[in-house]
Amino acid sequence: MRSRFLIVLAAIVALVLVPSFVFASGQQQGGGGEIVINWPSIWVGQDAKAPAIDALVEEFNQANEGKIKVVVEPNPDYDGYRDKINAAIAAGQVPDIFIFNPDPTTFQYYEGDLLMDFTKDLNGAWGKQFVPGTIKGATKNGVTKSIPFEVGVTPIWYNQDLFDKAGIKEFPKTFDQFWKDADRLKAAGIVPASQMTGGSNAWTSMLWYSHILASIGGQDVWDKPLTDPQYVEAARIMQRMFQEYTTKDAVGADAGVSGGHYLAGRTAMFINGPWYIGRIRDEAPEVYKATKLTPAPQVKGGKYGAQIAFPLSNLAAASTDDPARRAAVVKFLKWLTKPENVAKISESAGSLFAIKYEVDRTNIDPLQLQFIDALNNASFAVSHFQANFPVDVTAELGQGFGAMALGRMTPEEFVKQLQAVANN
Amino acid sequence: MAGRKLNKHWKGILLFLLPVIVLYGLFFVYPLGFVFTVSLTKWNGVSAMKFIGFKNFIDNFGNQNFQLAVRNNFLWAFALGVVQITLAATVAMILARRPKGWRVLRTVYFLPNVISKVAIAMLWLAIYNAEFGALNAFLDMIGLSGWTHNWLGEIETALPAVMFQEVVYIGYFMIIILAGTMSVPESYYEAAQIDGANVWQQERYITIPMIRSILVTAMTLAVAFGLRHFEATFLMTNGGPANSTTVMGLILYKALAALDYGHANATGATLIIVGAIIIAAIRRFLSSRDAVAESKQ
Amino acid sequence: MPGRELTLTDIIAKTAKWLILVFFLIMTFVPIVWLIISSFKTNLELQTDPFSLPAVWQFQNYVDAIQVSGLPRLFVNSIIVSSLSTVLNVIITSMAAFAFSREKFRFQNTMLNMILAGVLVPIIALMVPYFKIITGVGLYDRLWGLVITYAAINLPISLFLIYGFMRTIPKELEEASIIDGCSFQQRFSRVVLPLSKLGLVTAGTFVFLFSWNEFIYALLLTSSMRARTLQLGIRFFKSQFITNYTSMYAAITLAIIPSIAVYIFFHERIIKGLTSGALKG
Repeated sequence: MRSRFLIVLAAIVALVLVPSFVFASGQQQGGGGEIVINWPSIWVGQDAKAPAIDALVEEFNQANEGKIKVVVEPNPDYDGYRDKINAAIAAGQVPDIFIFNPDPTTFQYYEGDLLMDFTKDLNGAWGKQFVPGTIKGATKNGVTKSIPFEVGVTPIWYNQDLFDKAGIKEFPKTFDQFWKDADRLKAAGIVPASQMTGGSNAWTSMLWYSHILASIGGQDVWDKPLTDPQYVEAARIMQRMFQEYTTKDAVGADAGVSGGHYLAGRTAMFINGPWYIGRIRDEAPEVYKATKLTPAPQVKGGKYGAQIAFPLSNLAAASTDDPARRAAVVKFLKWLTKPENVAKISESAGSLFAIKYEVDRTNIDPLQLQFIDALNNASFAVSHFQANFPVDVTAELGQGFGAMALGRMTPEEFVKQLQAVANN
Repeated sequence: MAGRKLNKHWKGILLFLLPVIVLYGLFFVYPLGFVFTVSLTKWNGVSAMKFIGFKNFIDNFGNQNFQLAVRNNFLWAFALGVVQITLAATVAMILARRPKGWRVLRTVYFLPNVISKVAIAMLWLAIYNAEFGALNAFLDMIGLSGWTHNWLGEIETALPAVMFQEVVYIGYFMIIILAGTMSVPESYYEAAQIDGANVWQQERYITIPMIRSILVTAMTLAVAFGLRHFEATFLMTNGGPANSTTVMGLILYKALAALDYGHANATGATLIIVGAIIIAAIRRFLSSRDAVAESKQ
Repeated sequence: MPGRELTLTDIIAKTAKWLILVFFLIMTFVPIVWLIISSFKTNLELQTDPFSLPAVWQFQNYVDAIQVSGLPRLFVNSIIVSSLSTVLNVIITSMAAFAFSREKFRFQNTMLNMILAGVLVPIIALMVPYFKIITGVGLYDRLWGLVITYAAINLPISLFLIYGFMRTIPKELEEASIIDGCSFQQRFSRVVLPLSKLGLVTAGTFVFLFSWNEFIYALLLTSSMRARTLQLGIRFFKSQFITNYTSMYAAITLAIIPSIAVYIFFHERIIKGLTSGALKG
């Protein structure tokens, strides 16, 4: 009987250890010196960009058959993806290529020697393909270790049909007018604006906050530290928005709820980027037709006409000593950022990019056209709150908006709370 | 250890312990070493770790948010360890009496555990929603409109709301306790019946003492679940409103996202230590004597 | 039933009993019914009116769910991973629990307490070390990687449960078998193990469900369809800004049907086995 258990035990040990040695996969070198580039990507599955990107990867692989192969690893869940990338980097295994959302927290990736340095590569013709300022935005301490790719532009959206119903002829240009119009909307049984406190960044409301700050602080708004009174002034407006002019479920709502209210025609105002065009066109065609984009109202004494535009996704790569591998990665990134290719993605997905490309104004989604025009016609553009503060400060916004909405926190206390987290 | 005889079965013991020791060593001892080491440093995962002693722990304990999280975790431990176990035991004792359809019920009650937590969280988000949620709609319908709330968005109601949807799914513990009641001999109840004991008395004096050990096991496990609670809160409130529903697991998660490995791991270490103390206390105070323990002395 | 007449207490007990049972029945069915109905709606309907019947039943959601996320393969992977991790975990923890509960040896209590403390470890804190381990032994993107990880993660909890149940087995039964000439292993396989069935099933159920529903490590430790599990397929319907809830619910519903079937099939047999030998006079 002893032998039976020895056998069982041996079987277990074998079951556990043998596969690891037999199937151990080391650094991937495909057949005959082919360079394999692993790209964990979130632009897969239901992401609007997925088909175009898949096609581009396919084309690249075919053109470089036997020499370079790009393998996309699908990671549709964004939070999970970010966690995975962080874990891989901390474990010392930076993926060959990856995507990240640029903000002060993620720019820490630039430290040390983990990422490929593109500074020199971008000095020439490649760099000229990019919209001015975008490369600078990806440069820290004189070093550019990521490629700006997708950008977000998030004007204020409003539903013209609902505005008509409330008797409002044009979008208010000042906040004094805004409050009056918001009251008119309420009188007509329409909730003025979608707000939210959920998710990791209270997205809709964070963008409202950014718009208001842009109006108060102008082009240098983000140079001012949290101790500047502009943050309290903007917070006061947000408190009023939450307490009087939004849905009952705004505190605790996530992006699905906030967007859902706008799509359902319950709220008259919303904020989001061009990636949302597909959804609104497919799910709420009437609202899609009635949607107009505009700058935010002007705060008293502030500026008018700003737009919020920010780097949404940058591409980064693991640094490597192998010159052939380095060249392969750069080749692929140049391919992805080729103007014709970017135009293809933009056309099919509605997204906007940091690369200059020709827009065919006759053959483009009308809402997407509004986005492009909004950016072009802006008096100035600044990025959003999230791009200028570490992840935990941004995460605190939602909690603070909720607290203010519930009357548990004053705008002053709200900003103090942000400072506390920032100094932690 | 002079004078203490080596257990004559030591070869068998070693053999039986080896797989667990190896796997545990690899997947717990080494990673926990990582956790406790990093908890004493400042690290963002990219640059070198910087040793800072207990500063992360001190920061945590002085942080209002963290204190709130600890309090909430204790509340969760109570909600699951006491409330949920009581409900599970009650249902188990009812089903043990074999009422009509008990077999079907036994299977059905377990079904929610088979569905992913994400789906259940989504459902309850929809139920609790202030604009179009079922709960408020129901209250309106029965004339209690004054009782409607933004359940997940108000500080007084958010934590109970999240707790409710977790506590109410008793399937797992119910099955354990139910199987435990099966081992109580039928004859005991018959004798008690003849003696004139009613249902309550039968349960109190027969069933409960006999399943005591299983109840303690289940309760200890539930308390552990409460202390390490994370998912439902993350999915439903993300710690809000105003950080009122935050738990240690969530603080850990957010610190990781902020590339603050020092504080994240300090939170983890705190959770483990606090939890270990509580569990040890429970085992000490509630554990009944058992057959082998008696012979150990 | 001989003896007493129906008293007020009895009536209260009976009513309370049925109220409780019905309450939990409702709590159980609501999610399932809601999930299924929601899976036939459009996303807009879900946002605006989540508790009504769909205007038009969107069977397309199911077509999407099957075609687009590769559910069948992922389902098979989930079955394999969950079953293997459960079996591995239960075998080795029952062996260890036997040693801890029926024998005396050096450092016994220390080791036991150390392992049990593992129940409290928040596993999200372990992403970096686990990533290093699994990639280090070459099990990245392998079903085996997940099997071992899940089996290991649940060692403390299984040990806790099985040890807890084994402790209550009376020493006399074993002593009888020793007199009969049973060896160490025979005591385990012939006497103690059969009597700990409840503990084994309790632990096994937990490990299986854990492995089935686990997401974070399934994402972290795999990269392709050959090793990915059902939970990843379901998340497929999320993207950075938009979640396609209705198709996701269709996918979840599709996943539940076989899950429930498997559960009913196995659990019925297991419970039968558990309770058939348990009634002693």
